[in-house]
Amino acid sequence: MNDFAGEAGTRAGSPVVSVNAIRKAYGGAEALKGVSLSILPGEVHGLVGANGAGKSTLIRILAGLTQPDAGQIFVDGKRTAIATAHQAGELGMSFIHQELAFVPDMTVLENIMLGLPKKTRFGIVDWPAVAREIEPIAKRVGVKAPLGANVKGLSTAENWLINITRALVCKSRLIVMDEPTAALSPAESERLFAIIRDLRRSGVAVLYVSHRLDEILELCQRVTVFRDGQSVAELTGAGLTRQTLVEAIVGGAIAELQKSSAPIAAGEVALSVRGLGRPPKVVDVSFDLKKGEVLGLGGLVGAGRSELARLLFGADRPDRGAITLNARRFAPKSPAAAVKAGLGFVPEERRAEGLILTKSLAFNVGLANLNSIVVNAMLPLISGRRRRTLAERTIRELAIKTAGVDTPVGQLSGGNQQKVVIGRWLQSEPKVLILDEPTRGVDVGARVEIHRLIRALASRGMAVLVISSEPEELSDLCDRVLVMAEGRIVSELAGEALSRQGIIAASYAGAQERSAA
Amino acid sequence: MIVAFSILSPDAFPTFSNFINVLNQASLAMIIAGGLTLAVIVGELDLSIGYAASLNGVLVTGLVVKNKLPIPVAILIVLALGALIGLVNGLIVTKLRVNSVIATLGVGTIIVGLAFAYSSGVPIVAGVPEAFLQLSLGRWLFGIPNPIIVMALVVGGLWVLVERTSIGQEIQAVGGNPAAARLAGISVDRIKILGFIISGICAALTGALLASRLVSGTTSAADSYLLTAFAAVFLGSATLRDGEFHVFGTFIGTLIIVFGFNGLNIFGAPTFSQYVFQGAILIIAVGLSSLGRMLAES
Repeated sequence: MNDFAGEAGTRAGSPVVSVNAIRKAYGGAEALKGVSLSILPGEVHGLVGANGAGKSTLIRILAGLTQPDAGQIFVDGKRTAIATAHQAGELGMSFIHQELAFVPDMTVLENIMLGLPKKTRFGIVDWPAVAREIEPIAKRVGVKAPLGANVKGLSTAENWLINITRALVCKSRLIVMDEPTAALSPAESERLFAIIRDLRRSGVAVLYVSHRLDEILELCQRVTVFRDGQSVAELTGAGLTRQTLVEAIVGGAIAELQKSSAPIAAGEVALSVRGLGRPPKVVDVSFDLKKGEVLGLGGLVGAGRSELARLLFGADRPDRGAITLNARRFAPKSPAAAVKAGLGFVPEERRAEGLILTKSLAFNVGLANLNSIVVNAMLPLISGRRRRTLAERTIRELAIKTAGVDTPVGQLSGGNQQKVVIGRWLQSEPKVLILDEPTRGVDVGARVEIHRLIRALASRGMAVLVISSEPEELSDLCDRVLVMAEGRIVSELAGEALSRQGIIAASYAGAQERSAA
Repeated sequence: MIVAFSILSPDAFPTFSNFINVLNQASLAMIIAGGLTLAVIVGELDLSIGYAASLNGVLVTGLVVKNKLPIPVAILIVLALGALIGLVNGLIVTKLRVNSVIATLGVGTIIVGLAFAYSSGVPIVAGVPEAFLQLSLGRWLFGIPNPIIVMALVVGGLWVLVERTSIGQEIQAVGGNPAAARLAGISVDRIKILGFIISGICAALTGALLASRLVSGTTSAADSYLLTAFAAVFLGSATLRDGEFHVFGTFIGTLIIVFGFNGLNIFGAPTFSQYVFQGAILIIAVGLSSLGRMLAES
């Protein structure tokens, strides 16, 4: 494994890449107010900070996608300006983003080599020769799909490995990974960690950006913390603990997540599902969700949780089974019908499916509350005053950080965007609220607030279904958790049995059982 | 541009009567472009509008001349046909999932066929009653030409619909992000179909007014409005709001284009230059529109 990076990255001690006093403003808002950071060869360097702290801006600057207003960038000790993405690649940097970009109808090999110089014969690309060259690298990284396979059907985990292969083919000395495990299952994450450790051993540096502090603590030798556009701490060795990290991120001590207080009184059943199925993703699912209850839905990625949510919300139709909502038969033909019947949905991909990014906060909040912001039912004219009042109330109740109600939601940070999506349903008071990965990519502080908010909604009598890939989130937040595997509910956890370990154990046990059967 | 033409042709261009004249000319283009704006806001393209306007122009003339129908009835019939064409476009795009460029190109071509079938390709000229003429020539309110009044009503109505009603919020949401709109509980298909229907109705209205202005129903009379409308919509999207389509922008876009044409005319520019002007402005308009969007996103 020691020829991973070829001749690169052998000079330990001097940083591969360092930045000094970088400043960047967008319009009037300063995203970076002088950040510094240096990454040594062969180290996994963590970069953490609340959403809006400036991490993405720095990555964009390193990637050559945007230019800093002031400050210096050094690559191998030499001062450099990174004008284009192409130049960033030539300087030995690779970037793997949350949303991976592939050309869907091309093969694994073609995607790895996209835009890179390839071996040719008489001017024609010699794919067999290219494949022979790439094969060993892909194998070391652990790409299981054949190089000739189409990338379309591959899992997110496999896509990450393909991207890492590409980074190595480019002889990158620094790989920047942005929230790599956001879409990976625990097992896939473990594989990724093993590969990161291998990379490190061979001298490749990794800049690891994540909100998951456990991963940061497990992987990183040094961690830089950003807060409000400044680098506020560089932690290493004994000084690098969960406590110090959280304090640096938040800028002071914060109370740990509060476990839900007294178990809620058993209310009446709000949503009842019997034998619901759309094989192979959802098979024979039955459960009850009570008023005032926060029910969790756990399991590995691909277990069928999001597909189940789509059935409940009318985005897909079930092949069999029945749903009752408040003791009435409920068979939504579309999300519009589901909303009318009293469901609310906070989707997993908030940017792609939750928000209209170019529109204002008031517009986005108003969207699910159009009936309450018109002048009257006969004359469906929007009342600007009512819409503003609604938006202001939402901002207040959810403590959304925004310049005002007219700010386009695309300019808000991830946590605040998520609050807008939840806030939309806050005012229309649905009977059942379904949240898919409510805190993915959200910073520690906002996560606590969102959890508190979900509990508050339940205590008002709303029935809440939370889908999450994070066992901690489910055990902290939920009264009861259903674990899915291979499209079925394989386990129900409550009370003493409801713990992080319990959920993980049930997820894996269920998956094994099903695949053995 | 207006200043330049005024300097170049001080006697003809910057006169009040010429402004009214140009606004009058712009009215028909504005109505059809206003309708197209709705289709484009919901994220689709409607290439059938020019042909739909032509067919409805032929039909309204035929209904008045051959069938001796009262003019208001004839107009109601063609508006209904415009809505029907929009409905068909919308159903093909939303239910059959055909790309709107292909769907409306196909429907548009069928419409050309229908127009020929109805009129055998012969313009309906003889026996057009004076009252029909007065639709576009008359000045029934305060001496303002009727097309300007109709245009003002259409533009005002569309603006209120898009910017100030709850349906308008849904229209904007569907255009901004259909997936998010759907999960927020909006019937995306229904809103898209509505966009096509409004586009079809406005095309029919333009067709009817044009037939009155030309005193004839001709099978390809309104075809060229397609390009003008697209140029106006995209040019409009580059004004005021970065790359976002909106009714008021389309109004501005139409004025720019029609004043441009008028200036070229007065200036005595040869016919070919008008095509060059129109093609160039379409490309510039779309270019400015996507530049605006890029700037808004960065």
